[in-house]
Amino acid sequence: MKFLKYLKPYRIYALLAPLFMLGEVTVDLLQPKLMSAIVDDGVLKYDLRVILHTGILMMLLILVGGACGVLSSVFSGCASQGFSRDLRSDVFSKVMRLSFQQTDKFTTGSLVTRLTADITAIQQMVDFALRMFVRDSIMFVGGIFMMLSMNVRFGLALAVAMPIEIVVVIFIMKRANPLYTEVAKRLDTVNSVMQENVSGSRVVKACVREDHESARFDVANTDLMSANLKVQKLVAILQPLLMIVMNMSVIAVIWIGGRQVDAEEMKVGQVMAAVTYLTRILMGIMMLSMMFQTVSRASASAKRIAEVLGTEPVISDGRGAAGCSGKGSVSFRGVTFSYPGSSGDPVVCGIDLDIAPGENIAILGATGSGKSSLVDLIPRFYDTDEGEVLVDGVNVRDYALDDLRGRIGIVLQKSELFSQTAAENIRWGNKNADEEEVRLAAETAQADEFIMTMPEGYDTLIAEKGASLSGGQKQRMSIARAVIKKPEIIIFDDSTSALDLGTEAKLQRALRENLSGTTVITIAQRIASVKNCDRIAVLDHGRLVACAAHQELLDTCGIYQEIYRSQVRTSGGED
Amino acid sequence: MPPVPSLDPKAQRGPGGKNAARVNMEKPQNGKQTLKKLIRYIGGSRYLFFTLIGVMLAITVLNLAAPMIQQIAIDRMTITGERLEVDFPGLIKALACLAGVYAALSLFTYLQGLFSAKLSQITVKTIRRDLFEKLVRLPIKYFDTHRHGDLMSRMTNDVENISTTVSQSIGSLISGVLTVIGSVVIMLTYSPLLTLICLSTIVLTVIVSGIMTKFMRKFFLEQQILLGKLNGHVEEYVTGYHTVAAYSKERDAIAEFNDTSDKLRICGIKAQICGGMMGPMMNCISNFGFVLIAAFGGWFAIKGMITVGTIQAFILYSKQFSRPINEIANQYANIQTAIAGAERIFEVMESEREKDEGKADFKAENVKGDISFKDVKFSYVEGKPVLKGLDLEVKRGQKIAIVGATGSGKTTIVNLLTRFYEIDGGSITVDGIDLYDIPKNELRKSIAIVLQDTVLFSGTIGENISYGREDADISEIKAAAEKAYADEFIRRLPDGYDTVLAEGGSNLSQGQRQLLSIARAALADPGILILDEATSSVDTRTEMHIQSAMVALMKNRTSLIIAHRLSTIRDADKIVVIDGGKVVEEGSHEELLARQGCYYRLYQTQFAGNKT
Repeated sequence: MKFLKYLKPYRIYALLAPLFMLGEVTVDLLQPKLMSAIVDDGVLKYDLRVILHTGILMMLLILVGGACGVLSSVFSGCASQGFSRDLRSDVFSKVMRLSFQQTDKFTTGSLVTRLTADITAIQQMVDFALRMFVRDSIMFVGGIFMMLSMNVRFGLALAVAMPIEIVVVIFIMKRANPLYTEVAKRLDTVNSVMQENVSGSRVVKACVREDHESARFDVANTDLMSANLKVQKLVAILQPLLMIVMNMSVIAVIWIGGRQVDAEEMKVGQVMAAVTYLTRILMGIMMLSMMFQTVSRASASAKRIAEVLGTEPVISDGRGAAGCSGKGSVSFRGVTFSYPGSSGDPVVCGIDLDIAPGENIAILGATGSGKSSLVDLIPRFYDTDEGEVLVDGVNVRDYALDDLRGRIGIVLQKSELFSQTAAENIRWGNKNADEEEVRLAAETAQADEFIMTMPEGYDTLIAEKGASLSGGQKQRMSIARAVIKKPEIIIFDDSTSALDLGTEAKLQRALRENLSGTTVITIAQRIASVKNCDRIAVLDHGRLVACAAHQELLDTCGIYQEIYRSQVRTSGGED
Repeated sequence: MPPVPSLDPKAQRGPGGKNAARVNMEKPQNGKQTLKKLIRYIGGSRYLFFTLIGVMLAITVLNLAAPMIQQIAIDRMTITGERLEVDFPGLIKALACLAGVYAALSLFTYLQGLFSAKLSQITVKTIRRDLFEKLVRLPIKYFDTHRHGDLMSRMTNDVENISTTVSQSIGSLISGVLTVIGSVVIMLTYSPLLTLICLSTIVLTVIVSGIMTKFMRKFFLEQQILLGKLNGHVEEYVTGYHTVAAYSKERDAIAEFNDTSDKLRICGIKAQICGGMMGPMMNCISNFGFVLIAAFGGWFAIKGMITVGTIQAFILYSKQFSRPINEIANQYANIQTAIAGAERIFEVMESEREKDEGKADFKAENVKGDISFKDVKFSYVEGKPVLKGLDLEVKRGQKIAIVGATGSGKTTIVNLLTRFYEIDGGSITVDGIDLYDIPKNELRKSIAIVLQDTVLFSGTIGENISYGREDADISEIKAAAEKAYADEFIRRLPDGYDTVLAEGGSNLSQGQRQLLSIARAALADPGILILDEATSSVDTRTEMHIQSAMVALMKNRTSLIIAHRLSTIRDADKIVVIDGGKVVEEGSHEELLARQGCYYRLYQTQFAGNKT
């Protein structure tokens, strides 16, 4: 187990827990023996003093044992909870440092599961191992020892019963495990049908497919039930089978005991003690079989977590180039890029482009022409395959990531907001911004107006992922977040698509006024949004086709003319 | 814009949707009612249920009998004369009897496992089925005003809880109670005095376990809340990872995470200590009981009031029932949780389903497409009217574009025409028939809508295109895809039309997803077509290509187009401008420009940049 190092800081606890458990188990094991003494020497001999003495001794032992048990759970709690906290922190830090291509590969959903369910599974196993495993193994070995120490002949019952129990457990678990996987898979299907119907309810209704969806769900539901039944039927055999083996050996022990008593080799109380030991040994086997299930589940989880921990971020800090005073220039030199693991043509191919400080440049092109991919290379969300990207004259790979990204404000296509207040969300761009600055940024982004209509204005809590806001409102919030950062370079990645015409025009004007001196890179669909830019770069299938001002492109660039015509074709109010 | 009633998020949740839903133990609001309903579900397989009870009864009796016979067997060795003697024939008889009891016990235990698995699976399957049946018939309003995550958790966690409860808790509760009663009865027949002494330790057990569970519940509750917070944090920051990276917020995220994580650790330790103390303490008490029984029993035996066998029987029985008492306490908490979950499930099941009172003879394939809105009033939230007396006349085959500022109520018109929402006043007719007289299914079949947010279902591309018309064959699907300019990119996918979509089509771009939903509408071939920002994510050049396809698609059918790109709406037969919940202007593009009114101003703002 490579996670053992996470237990190291808690090794004292991790050692004390089983140690105290040993105390508890020892008391547990002594107890039937004392009990038999009470019966044989006290009750049968009508000696009240023996009963009282042994009874008091037993009580004391039990108290000690109980204290040991409590302490053991205290220590194992400290160890396992500390262990899981440290592991969780490490995994989360790792996830936060991964590069986009790596999070893409893991998929966010699976990362969330790994960080939550998987870690809990491992934690449970650690706790289990520190206490239950120790307890059951000692009980098992100690029980056998105690039993044989009373009479070796009892070994006969054990020798028959134990192998049978073990074989039964292994046989059934082996068959049940793949069935459990099957159940999990089918449960997934059921859940995903539900999810689709919850989020796609409009389409289901619009297409009048309620019956179809019900039928689809019925199939998934029935599949799940039959898988569940199959595994439960199988597991239902386990307990009765183990029970009968156990109980039959109890009968054998009583029989053997009876003959021993008859031969005056043993006392009656000892026979009873032997029965108790036997029950504990065989129960131990059952517990151990549960233990194996926990371990196998945890080891699957451990594998998934190790996978995350073992992934080294592909994009890491550069040498930390000295702060250059370029003030916002961006250059692409022969840049080619394709998404890691994808085949086919690169999404961005041989791009050369120099953007001067303070320039206002737009990027236009069809869906899939590589616009977003191109700008993602500037803050090093991805690294180029060939060529280099320079910011302020320095290769982006040479910057420390924080330094690089600190120079750039990017408004993503998908606005991601967090469950904090509106003001806190905007302050993402600048932790230290005061209220006035927050408000100013919101005004620039045309967000002030709607924020003020919310119940508590800037202190209104934004629901998870901004669910309480409309698409346009989310976009304006995230623009405000970028504006407040006052970066050298600001990138708008098609981030006004949900705004209506009037609002967008106002936004454009405000941005022009407030962002003077900042390099602005705008990805847009509408020519109207970008027409006033100093230059417009036209991309087509990952290549730079042209880059010039609006009028020049209209005169020289065929693709641009085509886009233009598609938008202002028969415009009456044009020119 | 989808209608997002601007309530604060807390109010949007259903009344039962407390966020602390996944806590260890909760009190249901109206437990009795819910329990009754739940029992009705279980009662669906009543024979199975009663058989199960019978089996459990048998198990309890056998469980109680076994120690008694064991005792008889051991008593065969304790016949006292001068020395210990063993009555072998008696011993053999007792052991044979014991073997029979044990065999029967195993058999019945197996049957119990079998029956309770069956019962719980059937019950849960039925609940799931009914819940889903209800789900697809709920009005859209329900989905718009309830958190999807909350709905999902009702259908997954809550149902799962019921399943475990039916299969495990109910069984152990019943057999626990039976065992306790049985043990007490048997003990009483042996010796009432010793029973009293024995019961005193039980009182102790109940008190201690009561106190302990109270503490445990408190810590577990806290632990669940912290865990929920932690998971929420992970979910949020991992899905919003691009933004986190863009703003170099990794360190803050980690710090916040570690903070919660550490609180969880401390709380977890407390909870674990509480939980870990339970076992040893119960052990202590039951052993204390044993000493009491041995001491008093011995004294009584010396006085000749009872036999040694009785003492041993007492020891066994007192063990027999301290275990179920623990269990009953545990199961009680589980059952409460399950009932609270069931309550939330029934709340969904009992919400009103979509009304469909339409009886008119209206067939989707014969729809002509005359639509009329007369003085329609509507509000999502009471007191905040969205439409204030809207009049709109659409003749068959007309192409109508609806424009207006965000929030002016464009999408609302679509919501009302498809009866996703019900109007508050006025009337809507299709082909002269009141909307409320048309069977809902026929109404919706006659309308195809392409929405702003494209919804794709798990399955292949081909299945998704034919979602609006199941019976379509592959050539029809291909033809529709070609019309929507989707054919080209589909054919470039690894398996073409048979490509399976990952996670709701996340492997497709927004634009491609929209093309698919346009293809879906093309294949459905309805009398009325609604395009609600259908091409907002397609770039304008691709859109231009689709445009001609859309022109063909809109031919001979009534079309409503909602768009904020003027290029998409210029060619409409009639442009309707909505403002403040009413139609303020209508006419053709040229007419409206000439009028220099609302439309003119909207138009100007889009091309404001062009002017200078």
